[in-house]
Amino acid sequence: MPWLKDEAMPAFLAALQSQGRLWVPVEEEWGSCLAVWEEKSLRLTPGPTLLAAKGLFLPQTEKLFHYRVEAEGAVISESEPPAAAARQIVFGLRPCDVAAVAVMDKVFLDGGYVDCAYRARREASALVALACREAAPTCFCRAFGLDPLAAPGADVLLLPLEGGYLVRAQTAKGEELLAQAQGVLAQEPALDWPAPPAFLLEVTAAGVPAKLAAMFDHPLWDNLYQKCLGCGICTYLCPTCYCFDVQSADRGTEGYRYRCWDSCMFPEYTLMAGGHNPRPTKKERVRNRFLHKLCYLPERFGVFGCVGCGRCLLKCPVNLDIAAVLKKVQEVGTHV
Amino acid sequence: MPENEVTLRMRRRAKELLAGGEVQQVIGWEKGTFWYQSPPVFIRQPEEADRLVWDDFCLANPAIYLLDDRYGQERVGLFVKGCDARAVVRLIQDRQLVRERVYLLGIPCPGLKDPEAARTTGRESAQLPPARRCQHCLYPNPVLYDELLAQTVAPRPPLAPRAAVKALEAKGVEERFRYWREHFRRCLRCFACRNVCPACNCTACLFDLARPTWLAKEVDPANNWFYGLVRALHVAGRCIECGECERVCPVGLPLMALNEKLAKDLEELFGFKGAGLDLEGLPPLSFWQPDDPDHFA
Amino acid sequence: MSNPYVPVIARIERIIEETPDVKTFHLVTAAGKPFAPRPGQLAMLSLLPVGEGMFSVSGQGEAHLEFAIKKVGQLTTALHEAEVGQAVGIRGPYGNGFPVEELQGKDLVFIGGGIGLAPLRSLINYCLAHRPDYGELLIIYGARTPADLVFKEELFRHWPQAPGTAVHVTVDAGDAGWQGPVGLVPALLEQLNPRPQGKVAITCGPPVMIKFVLQALERMGYRDDQVITTLERRMKCGLGKCGRCNLGSKYVCLDGPVFTLGQLKALPAEY
Repeated sequence: MPWLKDEAMPAFLAALQSQGRLWVPVEEEWGSCLAVWEEKSLRLTPGPTLLAAKGLFLPQTEKLFHYRVEAEGAVISESEPPAAAARQIVFGLRPCDVAAVAVMDKVFLDGGYVDCAYRARREASALVALACREAAPTCFCRAFGLDPLAAPGADVLLLPLEGGYLVRAQTAKGEELLAQAQGVLAQEPALDWPAPPAFLLEVTAAGVPAKLAAMFDHPLWDNLYQKCLGCGICTYLCPTCYCFDVQSADRGTEGYRYRCWDSCMFPEYTLMAGGHNPRPTKKERVRNRFLHKLCYLPERFGVFGCVGCGRCLLKCPVNLDIAAVLKKVQEVGTHV
Repeated sequence: MPENEVTLRMRRRAKELLAGGEVQQVIGWEKGTFWYQSPPVFIRQPEEADRLVWDDFCLANPAIYLLDDRYGQERVGLFVKGCDARAVVRLIQDRQLVRERVYLLGIPCPGLKDPEAARTTGRESAQLPPARRCQHCLYPNPVLYDELLAQTVAPRPPLAPRAAVKALEAKGVEERFRYWREHFRRCLRCFACRNVCPACNCTACLFDLARPTWLAKEVDPANNWFYGLVRALHVAGRCIECGECERVCPVGLPLMALNEKLAKDLEELFGFKGAGLDLEGLPPLSFWQPDDPDHFA
Repeated sequence: MSNPYVPVIARIERIIEETPDVKTFHLVTAAGKPFAPRPGQLAMLSLLPVGEGMFSVSGQGEAHLEFAIKKVGQLTTALHEAEVGQAVGIRGPYGNGFPVEELQGKDLVFIGGGIGLAPLRSLINYCLAHRPDYGELLIIYGARTPADLVFKEELFRHWPQAPGTAVHVTVDAGDAGWQGPVGLVPALLEQLNPRPQGKVAITCGPPVMIKFVLQALERMGYRDDQVITTLERRMKCGLGKCGRCNLGSKYVCLDGPVFTLGQLKALPAEY
């Protein structure tokens, strides 16, 4: 198997960059995110970046089409986005984040309708995953059966070992990527397959979807929500939260429709014209968010809406994170 | 640390107040997933009161939860630090709360620790720097309370008061423009700063209105900036400088620099010493006096 | 591949003032009928820049679609101000619609209140157009006042004259000219007491009416699979993507808006 020496990393990244826009994990003063390589330099720390990759496939704000208002009403003047998105390579995705992209794929590419803008971006993207030899304290991907040393959905997998990385193409797209990087890859030295990293958090999702399916009216929800601030931190940082709103930007006689990330934590999310709201308080909203991730998505698509990335553990200001909720769900009896 | 004297007193008093029916609920803090987290907790049963803790990480302001039931009848026992008590005063002044609905258990605050430093350095509490907002706190003792759970503390001389504002004021207009543009560019518009803010106690917020669209839902530098600046102006004179907005911001926007700038201006223009210090002193932008300085003329 | 969020531009061909706050709009595109929905299906209508919303198709002709729309919010207010000839964006059809095949051979009891008759109307007219496939039709409808009754032409002329069709109309409060019954829809339903054998009840109306109608039907012996209703939720995409119209793992825009009572009882009651 191809071997990438630590010191050959810049050359490897350059080989990737020659094939499209290259996004790499970088560390900013305020947190980590993905940025275009060479504008910022690669910085790898345990666990995923604070900001997930989802914005590369589902931008936080995205134009859908332009319209012009004429005497008899609006006409469509231009449809966005372009059919072919620019080629991009996302480097350094952790196995949890690769799994999260697979969840987004289910929603946007499966389930009846195909979302063309999402599909264009996904098809133009290659995922280069980085296996985890070390877990962050907030990591709990194991709870969902993920292997921190594997990333089945990635085009290329890098496994960090002493002195370098084992490099494996996992798809045709991955092979194509590596073909351009042959010059910087060596042959695999004899190395032992590493042991999986140790995790601090003891969490499991085993049996949770079935248990939650009978817990809609459980008293657990009566207290759980109370400390929730009703902000969008968990949803906006979550790599699998995909909900969006569609709105108009009105510029006099012309404008455009756009979609933008939305949060099920906001009251307006389900508020209907006329004032009725089927999820009127934080209780219903919090319950729906966790049931959606841990029960509804497994029911509908056979995948959890959580990959154990730990971002909500890191940033929920009141510690109402999904690991804490999983633990509570495991503890309580199902009696109502 | 959780077994300290204040913690034990909190638990005892919570049990007594709940068992005696003096309050129906107490709001305080409990331990979270990690040792450096002490999130809010809501206790209704005396036997649950042992979850309560007082430690270096009780940063959350329990007073904001009073807004979730602002028209309710229940009496709530609220544990308040200096800044939390100022929030209660503000809510009462803004008529979002009647004094009788809260029983305030005051905790003179020795200053809390920075949980982010705890997470990243792994150092134990005693070795951690103070939380940023505690570095220049002038009112560690609750300004309003029904009882105190500890001896009052002497305010420490603030470390570098208004340092962030002074540093920004020293920059030129262009540089300040770039500074804020670069920060607001990454705002996620999660509204955590607003939702955690005791000054943001309106029942309906202009930023949530779909039409007219004061704030577009598009997340771009212009709208983000508009949101941040208008919010800062709206809370001018009502901000208690608790720093919760900055603590909860997931992308580390230096929001307190804006709030401190406005507080500094209000002090210079109106001699205003701070919001929520007592029930009588109204925010200077909430009333008018003939001898107000008038720079609009 | 086409962008599913881009509407087709239709024009308002005709506007019928049903009540003081309900108008029916006939929409046509340059190519004729925008699409051919099943009874009970939905469409996204947009009036830009005001907005876009999901509406039940209340009827269709050879070359047009009909939408009976009540003025409740900003978009519907703007629609009510629109005139014949104005452009309206339309995309669809969305949702499952009524199970017209499964209903074949059954007697159907339609129980509607207010604007809730709009989706029922599409099915009633479908049944009348395919008359031999369906049994007796019993239509029970009510509104607050006589002025608030929608589709008056059909209620008082076409449907009562149609074969095997009975129509009963009530109002909460009559006026000087009102000769018909006064009272609530659930009470009228119980008074008429249609036996459940061989029947399916289909109901749509304000939540409080639905609640009492369902109770009445249960008392009368209707099983959960003999009762059908349609739901409304805020929607942004209509494609099962934007997230907000879920009831448990079902999406009203994809799996609804038509549900049997049995299906609804298995879902969280968030409507």
